[in-house]
Formats: sequence, structure tokens, C-alpha cells
Amino acid sequence: MRRPQEIAKDVATMSTMVNLTSVFESLASMRISQIKGKVQQSEKFFGELWNIYHQIRVDDTFRFGRAEQKKAHKKELRIAITAEGGFSGDIDQRLIRLMLEGYDKNLHDIIIIGHHGAVQLAQQGIEFKKYFKLPKQDEDINVEPITEEATQYDNTIAYYQSYQSLSVQNVKKMNLSKAVKEQGEASVEQIVNDEIISEQTYIFEPSTYEVVEHLERSMTSIILAQIVLESKLAQYASRFKAMTAAHERADDSLAEFRMMYNRSKRAIKDARLKEIVIGMRKVKAAREAKVEA
Amino acid sequence: MAFGKKKAAVAPKEEAKPQKKEELKDEKGKPLMHVKVYAPFKNYFDEPAYSISAENHTGPFDILPRHHNFMTLMSACEMKIVAPTGDKTIRITRAVMHVKADQVVVFLDV
Repeated sequence: MRRPQEIAKDVATMSTMVNLTSVFESLASMRISQIKGKVQQSEKFFGELWNIYHQIRVDDTFRFGRAEQKKAHKKELRIAITAEGGFSGDIDQRLIRLMLEGYDKNLHDIIIIGHHGAVQLAQQGIEFKKYFKLPKQDEDINVEPITEEATQYDNTIAYYQSYQSLSVQNVKKMNLSKAVKEQGEASVEQIVNDEIISEQTYIFEPSTYEVVEHLERSMTSIILAQIVLESKLAQYASRFKAMTAAHERADDSLAEFRMMYNRSKRAIKDARLKEIVIGMRKVKAAREAKVEA
Repeated sequence: MAFGKKKAAVAPKEEAKPQKKEELKDEKGKPLMHVKVYAPFKNYFDEPAYSISAENHTGPFDILPRHHNFMTLMSACEMKIVAPTGDKTIRITRAVMHVKADQVVVFLDV
């Protein structure tokens, strides 16, 4: 049996592990609640912006802020948002698998966000147009370079990790143009004072078309930022899940080590007691032998 | 008459009159407008104010209460808000301003 001093070291290490996993678990949980609030605030902001855009829109076509004279790419743009590092389970593999369904390099262009996804595509020998790092921060996410790319295509589909609950994260795809319209129209239903904004009732600077173009670009950026945030939310949830499991395992191990430590201490005490009893018996036997002699 | 609740007496309908929105004023009667400045993830200002000064591509401009309906793309500048609670300056890189019926909304970072 191992000595108690040796086991005591394991107990101390495991206690640190329990504390660490608990801290990581709390951090992930805190980030989740912060990001959830931000996503809700961003949705409200988007709703108000859509309401204005909806009132001044000149026709039903959403052009991603592309001026009418500019022609869009005929290819479809696929944007995949993956994790930056490992420890994300198999969710990124599922995401890449979904993105590559029906993929044809002559018909599709790929933009990948996150190092983990880029590595997986490289391993499969699939070329991508551009690679971006997943932003570390949860605020002020600059999606301008991606919006710039998306505006050049008629059709853009984003593939991302979606947060369902703390225990469930899925992979999803979203057609950006449809998403902007759907999210906007959902928020418009709540708005009562729907009026038409025109040059007769408003002063526009620099011009109506430039304002509309700018709003379209902005809304595409907001949707993209929301998708990036939702992916991060799913990643934090996945990390929370992993940390909860690790915390439970560490807790079980700590209990086992403590039991081993106590057993080991008791075994030493028992051995000493046995030695004392044997010693006393020997002394007693010696005394009895002396008396008999 | 069917068994059940008595039919409640209905008051004759009054013709709907167009209600004039009450003008926002401070204690001294100086006109105010409601100003909201916010970004997708942060609120910067949401209070009544006397005026806003900022810049767009044509140059500096001011918004006062009773301003005509107005929509503009703003240039990078320091936007100054004069409010009863004190003046506030917000540095902006890009924004969209919407002015309607003494309600000013500035959408930042868009």
C-alpha cells in the first residue's frame, strides 16, 4: 500500500484540479450569460434599423449594399465559422461536413473563420478563398472584411455553431439575404407606426440611394456579427459542458484519493497497534516464563 | 333573450380626433427632444437633450427641437449633445442619424 504522505500530495493536486475546473466552469457560464444579453440587444438594434430601412426601401431586392451598377459573382459564397483552437469536440467536423455537402469548386467559394476549420479543410486538400481568425473579444467584432466579400456575391450561406441549450449545440446554415429579410420582418411585426419615408417627407444626406445602400451593408454586418457571437456562445457552452464533466470526474477522484489516504493512515495505525499488542504479548510471555522459573 | 350575461350598455362612439403630441420641455419651458445614441452592443445616451452637433459629408450641422424629418450618414467626428443633465461628447467613426418628431436616434458603428 502507498504511504499517506504520497497520497496526500495526490489529494492536494486533485483539490487544485477541482478548484480550477470549477473556476473555468463559472467563467464559461458568466460568458454565456453576457453573450446572450448582447445577442438580444443586437437583435433589438437590428429591428429598429430594419424598421427604417423597410420604410424607405425602394424595391423588394436586398442587394447587400451593392450598388445597382455593380455585378455580383455567379458563384455561391460559403462562410464557415469554426473554433480557433482544439477542445471543441466533434462539432467543427460536423460543421465542415455540412458545408462540403454538394460542394463544387467551380460553383462555390469558401471563406473560413477559425484555425480549427482551416486545418480540417487543408487536411482534405480543399482550397479556400480567405481565412480569418475568430475574434478573441466578445465586443466590437469587426466583420467588415467578411461583409466586403459577402457583398460581391448574389448568394451567401453561413455555416455556424448554434446554441440550443447548455447541453445541446448544433451546426446550422443560414442564407444571409433571407436571414436579413426574415429577421427584419419578424421585428417589423412589433412596430405599429409604420410609415413611408420618402424624399417628400424627409431630408436625406447624401442621398436616398446612398442611405439605403449603407443600411443594407450595415444590416449584413450586424447579422454576421450575430452569427459569430452565436458560434462563440455555442463554443462557450461546449467548454462549460466539458468543464462540468471534468469537475465531476475530479470530484470523484478527490473522494477516492481521500478514502485511500484515510485507509493508508488507518493501516499504519493498525500495523503499529498490532506491533504493540505483539510486543506486549511477548513481554507478558517473558514475565510468565520468569515467574514459572 | 339568451341566458347569460347582460349586454353591457355601450357608450356612443366619439369621433377620433387627431391627437397632437405634447412637446417635450424643461422646467423653464425650453424645448427638448429625445436623443438615443447606441451601438449593437452598447447604449451611450438615452435622455432628453437641447441640441446635437455633429458632422456629415456636407460639413458640420446642428439638430434642434422641431427639426424637419432628417436622415444622414455621419462622418467621423466628435458628436456633442447639450442636455439638461450636462453636455456630453461622443467620438464616432461612422453612424446613421434618424430625426423624426423630436426623436433623434443615432445608430453607431453602422
